[in-house]
Amino acid sequence: MKRALIIALREVRTYLKDKADLAFSLLLPVATFALIYGAFGGTGLFHGTAYIVNEDTNGIYAEKLVEKIGQEQSLDVELLSRQDAENKLDRSDLNIVLLIPSGFSDKLISDQPGELTFLQRGNGGQEGQIVASIIRGVVSGLNQEFTVLDQSNQLLTGKDIAPEKIAFTTQKFLEKEQQSPLIEVKETAIGSKPNMVNQFLPGIITMYVLFAINVGTTAIVEERRKGTLERLLTTHLSLGELFFGKFMASALRGFIQTFILLALSYAVFRIFTPISFLECLLIALLFTMACSTLGLVIASVSRTQDSATWIGVTFTMAMTMFGGTFFTISKGTALYALSKLSINTYANDAFKAIITEGGHISDLGVEIGVIAGVAIVGLVVSRLLFKAVPRGK
Amino acid sequence: MSEAFLAVKEIHKSFNGQKAVNGISFTIDKGEIFGLLGPNGAGKTTVIRILSTVLEADAGDVTVGGYSLRKNPAAVRNLVGVCPQDLALYEELSALDNLIFFGQLEGLSGREAKSQAISHLSLMGLTERGKGKISKFSGGMKRRINLAIALMGNPKLLFLDEPTVGIDPQSRNNIFETIRSLRDKGMTVLYTTHYMEEADRLCDRIAIMDGGKFVAMDTPQGLKRQIGDPDKVTLEDVFLKLTGRSLRD
Ligand SMILES: Nc1ncnc2c1ncn2[C@@H]1O[C@H](COP(=O)(O)OP(=O)(O)OP(=O)(O)O)[C@@H](O)[C@H]1O
Ligand SMILES: [Mg+2]
Repeated sequence: MKRALIIALREVRTYLKDKADLAFSLLLPVATFALIYGAFGGTGLFHGTAYIVNEDTNGIYAEKLVEKIGQEQSLDVELLSRQDAENKLDRSDLNIVLLIPSGFSDKLISDQPGELTFLQRGNGGQEGQIVASIIRGVVSGLNQEFTVLDQSNQLLTGKDIAPEKIAFTTQKFLEKEQQSPLIEVKETAIGSKPNMVNQFLPGIITMYVLFAINVGTTAIVEERRKGTLERLLTTHLSLGELFFGKFMASALRGFIQTFILLALSYAVFRIFTPISFLECLLIALLFTMACSTLGLVIASVSRTQDSATWIGVTFTMAMTMFGGTFFTISKGTALYALSKLSINTYANDAFKAIITEGGHISDLGVEIGVIAGVAIVGLVVSRLLFKAVPRGK
Repeated sequence: MSEAFLAVKEIHKSFNGQKAVNGISFTIDKGEIFGLLGPNGAGKTTVIRILSTVLEADAGDVTVGGYSLRKNPAAVRNLVGVCPQDLALYEELSALDNLIFFGQLEGLSGREAKSQAISHLSLMGLTERGKGKISKFSGGMKRRINLAIALMGNPKLLFLDEPTVGIDPQSRNNIFETIRSLRDKGMTVLYTTHYMEEADRLCDRIAIMDGGKFVAMDTPQGLKRQIGDPDKVTLEDVFLKLTGRSLRD
């Protein structure tokens, strides 16, 4: 056992010394996580910029309009000169710009209809259309205010009430109505965004762990290539110790990567409880161990680096496909029967049960049993195979 | 008569029906340096791989220090050290780490392995370079480390498969001196080489192998006497006479 540890430590040491390999293998899970985060993380709400050309300088209603647009949560406002706006539209830097013409406020003050224009390329683009429709909402709110103000004025003129007072009171009613509108639109979230993570994370973790297979497959070929395999076989090291050492090294490496991925998901997406996190780690550890031994089985029959890599990749692909990592396999199909042959199926089911369905390890007897069984059988079989396959140079 | 430390009786080995070793018998006494010469493909490395338990012979018996290779390979491994023909080193590790690693696998404690490693490095004249990565070493330095690893765990019997191939006279001389001083301390050595004058100077007895068989086995003097005046002919003359001049694969 001590010698197996020496083998594993040597492997870890080599791994730590190869800075490029080390950086790559540690950054890979971080990068994968960043991709998941980019795809499923964040708020997901629309946010855009309203580009406005205000030619109604010092017009109070133009200012009011710009201010109201700026109060919209999903919009930022950027003011441009007309020349600038036209240039940018020309170059397709912008797709849509709101133009407030000069005299806009004066017209409104003198009870004439005001006019606003969208300068746009084509239909203004998807984002442009959303921005425009938000602006239209703001404008129609303003329209209502003017209408109400106008009507109150008409009703109350000649009734001995000061026009300032009419304006003030109307304004107060309008504000009250805004705070508690007659028709209110509410948002109720059905299923939060991070559920996407719940859906995909099990598959991603499973696939990740499968990398351990490929680390394992080269374990023996590497020694053969360096010429150290025969030297190892002339020491006190037994075959069992050699394989167990290789197994520990590749399982450790695979587990560290999965750990990074799971820990980041834990910290950022908050989809785990401390218990479910530990349970997932345990499954990940078992699964990495199983994959490492599968890697060793391939290693024990591979004569060259090429054949090891080739068999490893083919095997990994098959496991991933049949394991329902990327698509759901429906019951009763031929693929469903095949999927039972893939260790991914069991790992995937186990992760899903815990992450998506809030289950516990204690309910996963079959899955855990299969994964642990593969780990043990793989370790034994790889050793036997290695002994059985004739040794060449 | 001194006792035979290694006794090989009628070993055979075929690869895909091709005889690589075809019924070889010999003994090596304790403290003897035994040379195994032969053209490319004669079967020298195959013999060493069998004797060092890496390869199983199809037939025949081998005992090392009284232990049967078949019945007790672990005990045999305990007694032998192997310096393989092809370098067997971890390039990314330092010389010291390579030595300590193999020393520990030979059953030494970390501390013992380290102290042996340091003394073997000094034997090879590489004390200063112990911490250096093997990948940065010259061919001669790598060869010397390859040999130093074989010495880890203080074996009683050394198999040296062309330990001096492709290196300069200085490195070769160092290896040479090392082998001699080991022999003086009682080490038994099986040595293969393609350098005839090297074998002449170093070996107590020599076997010439061709096509999986021994074609001659004697002291260097005795071999030379077979074809003429031992002071006038060289071992190379003997070798060419016995194995012919045709090229081998
Ligand atoms: N693993 C193997 N599979 C098939 N044939 C082999 C194998 N190992 C050795 N042989 C064959 O056995 C014969 C003896 O090879 P071996 O390496 O023992 O020769 P050698 O005397 O060490 O030669 P060299 O001086 O070139 O090192 C050769 O014909 C070689 O091709
Ligand atoms: Mg050889």
